Amino acid sequence: MATKSVPVTLSHVTKIFKDPTSKAEVHAVEDANFDVRSGELVTLLGPSGCGKTTTLRMIGGFELPTKGKILIGDTDVTYLPPNGRQTATVFQSYGLFPHMDVFDNVAYGLKIRKLSHTEIENRVRTVLELVGLAELAHRAPGRLSGGQQQRVALARSLVVEPQVLLLDEPLSNLDALLREQMRVEIRRIQKSLGITAIYVTHDRIEAMSLSDRVIVMRNGVIQQIGTPGDIYERPVSMFVAGFVGKVAFFPAQLEGIEAGGRAICTVGGKRVRAGSAAEGLGTGSPAVIMARPESLRLVEKEDAISSGTVTARVYLGSSVEIYVKTETGEILVQIDDPSGKAIPSEGEAVWIGLNEALVRVLPAE
Amino acid sequence: MFTKKKLIVFAIVCAIFAAGEYWIFSTIQASFEKNAAKEITALARAIAASAPENNESLASWTEQLPSTYHGYRFFAFKGVPGEEGSEPAGGDSALSELWKLPSNADIAAKAAESVSYLEVFRWPSRVTFAGVPYTLIIAPVPDAEGSSARAALLIAADASGYVAFGRLVQTLAVVTFVLFALGFGIATFSRDPISGYAILVLAAVVVAFVAYPLFEAVRLTLIKQGRFSFDVWKTILSNRQYLQALWGSIQLGIVTATISTFIGFMYAFAVARTSMKGKKLVTALATMPVISPPFSLTLSIILLFGKNGIITKQWLGLQNFNIYGLGGLALVQTISMFPIAFLTMQGVLQAIDSTLEDASLDLNASRWHTFSHVTLPLAAPGLLSSWLLVFTNSLADFANPLLLSGSYRVLSVESYIEVTGMSRLNNGAALSLLLLLPTLTAFLVQRRWVSRKSFVVVTGKPSTRLSDLAAPGARRALTGFVVVVSGLIVALYLTIVAGCFVKNWGIDYTFTLVNIHEALTRGKQALISTITLAGIATPIAGVLSMVAAVILVRKKFPGKRILESLIMTPFAIPGTLVGISFILAFNKPPLLLVGTGAILVINYVIRELPVGLEGGVAALRQIDPSIEEAAADLGADQATIFRTIILPLIRPAFISSMSYTFVRSMTAVSAIIFLISARWYHITIQIYNFSENLRFGLASVLATTLIIIVLAVFGLMRLLIRQSEFLEKTVTAQ
Repeated sequence: MATKSVPVTLSHVTKIFKDPTSKAEVHAVEDANFDVRSGELVTLLGPSGCGKTTTLRMIGGFELPTKGKILIGDTDVTYLPPNGRQTATVFQSYGLFPHMDVFDNVAYGLKIRKLSHTEIENRVRTVLELVGLAELAHRAPGRLSGGQQQRVALARSLVVEPQVLLLDEPLSNLDALLREQMRVEIRRIQKSLGITAIYVTHDRIEAMSLSDRVIVMRNGVIQQIGTPGDIYERPVSMFVAGFVGKVAFFPAQLEGIEAGGRAICTVGGKRVRAGSAAEGLGTGSPAVIMARPESLRLVEKEDAISSGTVTARVYLGSSVEIYVKTETGEILVQIDDPSGKAIPSEGEAVWIGLNEALVRVLPAE
Repeated sequence: MFTKKKLIVFAIVCAIFAAGEYWIFSTIQASFEKNAAKEITALARAIAASAPENNESLASWTEQLPSTYHGYRFFAFKGVPGEEGSEPAGGDSALSELWKLPSNADIAAKAAESVSYLEVFRWPSRVTFAGVPYTLIIAPVPDAEGSSARAALLIAADASGYVAFGRLVQTLAVVTFVLFALGFGIATFSRDPISGYAILVLAAVVVAFVAYPLFEAVRLTLIKQGRFSFDVWKTILSNRQYLQALWGSIQLGIVTATISTFIGFMYAFAVARTSMKGKKLVTALATMPVISPPFSLTLSIILLFGKNGIITKQWLGLQNFNIYGLGGLALVQTISMFPIAFLTMQGVLQAIDSTLEDASLDLNASRWHTFSHVTLPLAAPGLLSSWLLVFTNSLADFANPLLLSGSYRVLSVESYIEVTGMSRLNNGAALSLLLLLPTLTAFLVQRRWVSRKSFVVVTGKPSTRLSDLAAPGARRALTGFVVVVSGLIVALYLTIVAGCFVKNWGIDYTFTLVNIHEALTRGKQALISTITLAGIATPIAGVLSMVAAVILVRKKFPGKRILESLIMTPFAIPGTLVGISFILAFNKPPLLLVGTGAILVINYVIRELPVGLEGGVAALRQIDPSIEEAAADLGADQATIFRTIILPLIRPAFISSMSYTFVRSMTAVSAIIFLISARWYHITIQIYNFSENLRFGLASVLATTLIIIVLAVFGLMRLLIRQSEFLEKTVTAQ
């Protein structure tokens, strides 16, 4: 299955819906600019209602942008109908044709393209083998399990050799174990075909584990574009930091930035050399220190920036999670490699310090 | 989408089309004018040649001419007019006045010159007298040698026909251009041209066949002698006879609706809330009156209770019993309409979560208390809505009162008599519009009040349990009641069948097969044309309603609400009004359809479209839109999606829409009674004619035939739908 992969470019794409009853305008997507390189898998990540699915539907041709341009390769596809562009979508509800068996579902797109009988037969067989459904070719979709239906939907999209594969929360209807399995599967198939793919999800773990790059959206506006490492370790805002992983924030004052990029600030009356700071953050402006559970430690009173009492501890084998109730809220501290260490028990008073190289200064919201 | 390049291409193509069209239509018009001119010149020459030899009798000859040539006016001159020695001889003086007009001087001089050369002269432009356009010609009357003109004859020919033709050609040209521009515009600018065309076709159909006829009907009632006036309405609203009919309709509606809702509720309660046996049979029997042909129940009521009725005359020996009138009508309407209330109430009761009643019983309330304090209040909005539904149906009913009203007056029959008996179309139209008033009121009450007050608790699935809500005694009484009513229905249908085999009902009850032969021979033509036309209308209505459903459910476009209400309109208005508005709109150009089979087919399609649409919409709402999006995504255009995805998935709705269209077309009366012709007759009208002539045996045979056809169609439908039942499950399971 040779797919010629192409890049996708969105420039200044805006989508405004009109509420039919109140006539109010809803800005579903606001000035979206990004490009997806050929062969890359990019995830649109955000809470529900952030505009990620609308963005995907505009790329697929199911919605028209109010403003802006969408390019697939060099072709302007902004106003082309879905059947006029080389994209294939895997829908959240799969959208399998209930009156056709698996084979006919997969063959549908090829029949529309009026391919010969033998070619359809060959291509459907190949793709069904790729997704591991060769034996179920003549079963009705209603009699397949969720994971199998998902594979049919994927096969049906892949068989037409689209330039771009669009996946709209494809795993949200599966149970946790199956979801993990399919995630690996989708990534494997996408890599082996080298196809450009855009993936929509609200599940950060899915986004982190699948993507080459992640686009975080909120209220129709793109917050950050970057590799999973970028958005986890170097988020640009408190929202992104909070959305992609567990995090604690401590109000701080930025004093200055060193030549190496480390930021000097005071937090809880202590001077801290944070690992990095968000761009454009000036000294004196309100800031916070963001700390992931793994960059927090339990320390002696004099090294602490915060304190509290333990409310719960969760033993996970390779680590222990300690939930600490502080003045600013509940904070999760992760203790790695716990064997031999003294683990505080519930109700005990503890002091929290930072692994300074791993924390980051962000503008306060 | 609009881009500069597309706009330019669109403008250029439209301009080329307009130019081409202008050339074609002006050529047509010019050649028509030329032929007309040639004809009239020849005619003028011939008339002038037949002038009396003596100039003295010219005047009297001229005055005689209009009686031979209708639509022409004549005026004769002695000598060549305008030259010396010429004088008016006589004729239509209006013409000579015109001749004297100073603005005509130039043309008059040319005319005179032509006459002196013995040429016929035609005025270059038309002249208007008293609002009528005329072509003006002057023809010389040659003298004996044929070398000079001894007299001249001025002829004015009525040209209103030509003017109307010209206007028609122009309208046609404009309509063609608009259609072309719309079609080409959609193809150029739309992302989904096929849906665009479908919307265009649907809009054209409803504008031409729903909006336009209704507009014509309303217009006719507001016009008197070409001017706007309320005279028609004043007559209608001040005439006792008409007001009596209005009151009669409302009275009948109230009686029928009340009794029907009562019986319907008893039935629904027995089926939905008790452990009565034989529920399926009871339901099937109760639906019979809904689908059975018109006149059949009336017929059997007449056979049982009429002047020669088997019960009234044979068994009870009553001499002066009169079934015709309010009582008989209410009886027939109740039997034919209580199933509507039953089916509505059954739906309402099933939608009420019975755990509420269980909770009440559990709290130690008695069955009666539970019924009166839980079930009944929850069902109250449903009761009102089924009352209103029966009420509007009773008002719109035409077939039953037509046979059974006697001297009792109802609006639907009154408007029919006005139109066909008295030829007072305007009064008929006004009366049938009057019928809309209570119907609309009922509709608004339903919309505003019932829907807001609805307590129906939707739990997703009807609960499966059934604790008997009626005490054993009450249940027995209820069952007894249901059995009696069901028995009555069976008896009525058996009476019709019996009527087929009896020599002369009421007089001679010997067994015979003569009726069957005679009825089928005499009704054969009507039966064939009814089946043919219903057969043509069925696929059209089926496909059109499914297309409309897809467009209204899945597409967004301006004017969607208007299109939807126009499609639904024929459902809300009485058939009599539809029929009257159709004859008003289609007995003249541009759509001269009265007397053709087409008008019947169109009427069937228009009237059954709403039912199919509702079914299609309900079916489509069950289907996940991403199924269609997936198909589009894989490269299918809208037509392919419709054919390969939508139609197979909504097959049950499609099939039942088609069978309803067929059955309802076969059993139509109220609208088509105005539209039938000798060539295209309808079987139900034939039944009516037989009954009117007291040939009840023949009527029974045709009614029975229709019942058999209807049952066969529904049986077939059941069979076809069952085959696709697996679909319904998988579609919703997704």
